[in-house]
Amino acid sequence: MSAPAPILEAAGVSYSYPGPTPTRALEDLNLQVRDNEFLAVLGPVGCGKTTLLRIFAGFLRPVTGAVRCAGAPIEGPGAQRGYVLQEEAIFPWMSVRDNVEFGLLAKGLDEQARRAVSDELLRLIGLSSFESAWPKELSAGMSKMVEVARVLATDPSILLLDEPFGALDAQTRARMQDALARLWEQRRKTVLFVTHDAEEALYLADRIVVLSQRPGHIKAEFPVDIPRPRSLESRFSPGFLALKRRIWEATGNAGA
Amino acid sequence: MRAVRIRRAIVALVTLTALYGIAAEIGFGRLPTRIWMGSHYVDNLKLLPTFRQLGEEGGFLLESRILPDSVVASTRRVTLGLLVGAIAGILLGLATGWAASLEYLADPWVTFFRFTPALALLPLFVVWFGYGETSKVLLIAASVGVITLLGAHDGVRRVPRAYLDAAASLGAGPGLRFRKVVLPLAFPSIFASVRIAAGLAWVTIVVAELIDARMPSLGYLLALSGAYPRVPTMMIAIATIGALVLLFDTVALLLHARATRWMRRAG
Repeated sequence: MSAPAPILEAAGVSYSYPGPTPTRALEDLNLQVRDNEFLAVLGPVGCGKTTLLRIFAGFLRPVTGAVRCAGAPIEGPGAQRGYVLQEEAIFPWMSVRDNVEFGLLAKGLDEQARRAVSDELLRLIGLSSFESAWPKELSAGMSKMVEVARVLATDPSILLLDEPFGALDAQTRARMQDALARLWEQRRKTVLFVTHDAEEALYLADRIVVLSQRPGHIKAEFPVDIPRPRSLESRFSPGFLALKRRIWEATGNAGA
Repeated sequence: MRAVRIRRAIVALVTLTALYGIAAEIGFGRLPTRIWMGSHYVDNLKLLPTFRQLGEEGGFLLESRILPDSVVASTRRVTLGLLVGAIAGILLGLATGWAASLEYLADPWVTFFRFTPALALLPLFVVWFGYGETSKVLLIAASVGVITLLGAHDGVRRVPRAYLDAAASLGAGPGLRFRKVVLPLAFPSIFASVRIAAGLAWVTIVVAELIDARMPSLGYLLALSGAYPRVPTMMIAIATIGALVLLFDTVALLLHARATRWMRRAG
């Protein structure tokens, strides 16, 4: 890969979960994410996608190889890499607004400054009227959007999203994908998006890398040249469908 | 929902009280008044006192200030012991739950003391802390401390990793994670243990008040009424302790409900 330097980089990364029968999750994985790129990592369930993301988030250390963020080795979690977990991680004991403001509280911003940011983000995700609601009162899709907004509040340069819409029904999923696409078009962050859904990856990403089955390594890569802003029409355009077919073929004989 | 529960509780109480009243009236004049106590006979016994008899006894206990003074003295001890024990237990439990190295140190001791009854510690506490208030309060504090330590420890340990990871990746340091993530999530478990401990504190006081037994004290009142024996006094003392346990439990429950509003579903 030429020109712009990668903002996220994994070089020769291997990872095994310790235990009586160690599980090799990743093996000799090389990946570069360019600045402002929306990269989707696509792979079957259990191929090490989440492991890869947790390594980039700083919660796991590769057994061999190196991970770097903007050239510096990743040594732990950091607010410049906003991480949305696969599990539901909205804080149920805080109001929606307090959830969104949590990262700003950690930064030590005063109430007024926090409020300005959360006002804007709540408007952006369309949840202004839910500011003082408890997370229990939200639908699954809404609470995932609050989690995304909570991460965006600290204005990280990179977003690490782990199947954020995995637990949603198809309709909500499509709406959330639209919301995320709009957010990304406005904010232009570097996004590393993990999913097992080829259509989701195609709809959102600039580039898709396909992970093999465990131990995961990259076995195919597809640039997505579908014009933005994407819409329902894009999902049924010939280019989209042709690419989807090629990705299907690449993932279909996974492990081979 | 809450009104229904209160109504049901009142119905249950009134029904049982009424049934007792009926049984006592049936037994009045029919039950024996003289029983063999192993070494001597006891006369003028009221095995199942009627409400009138209970009323007379209650009047005497109130008028002589025996009951009110005992309630004040025992409540004071329980409250003090509960406070000291809960504060120490919760702080220790939070520490052992949060820091893995402390758990390592604390674990065998917690298991050791978990099932040690307060009664077993009683002689030791008397020797260590003397016959005064201190040993009574500390005995309660000890049993409360063990329970709340476990409650706080488990509460911290059960915090899902996802929340801690999310907080850490949002830039929260250990202090903020502890205050804003661990504490609120551990709270229900802590309060559940405080509720149990409050009940246990009242169990312990009856035992603790046999140290340096003297009035006023509910535990000693109960012991004295057993020695005579004087059934109406026993019943009033038992009912008073029961009512105080209920009162403590209600207060704990209200505090708990207030601090865990987020757990309840909307609507």
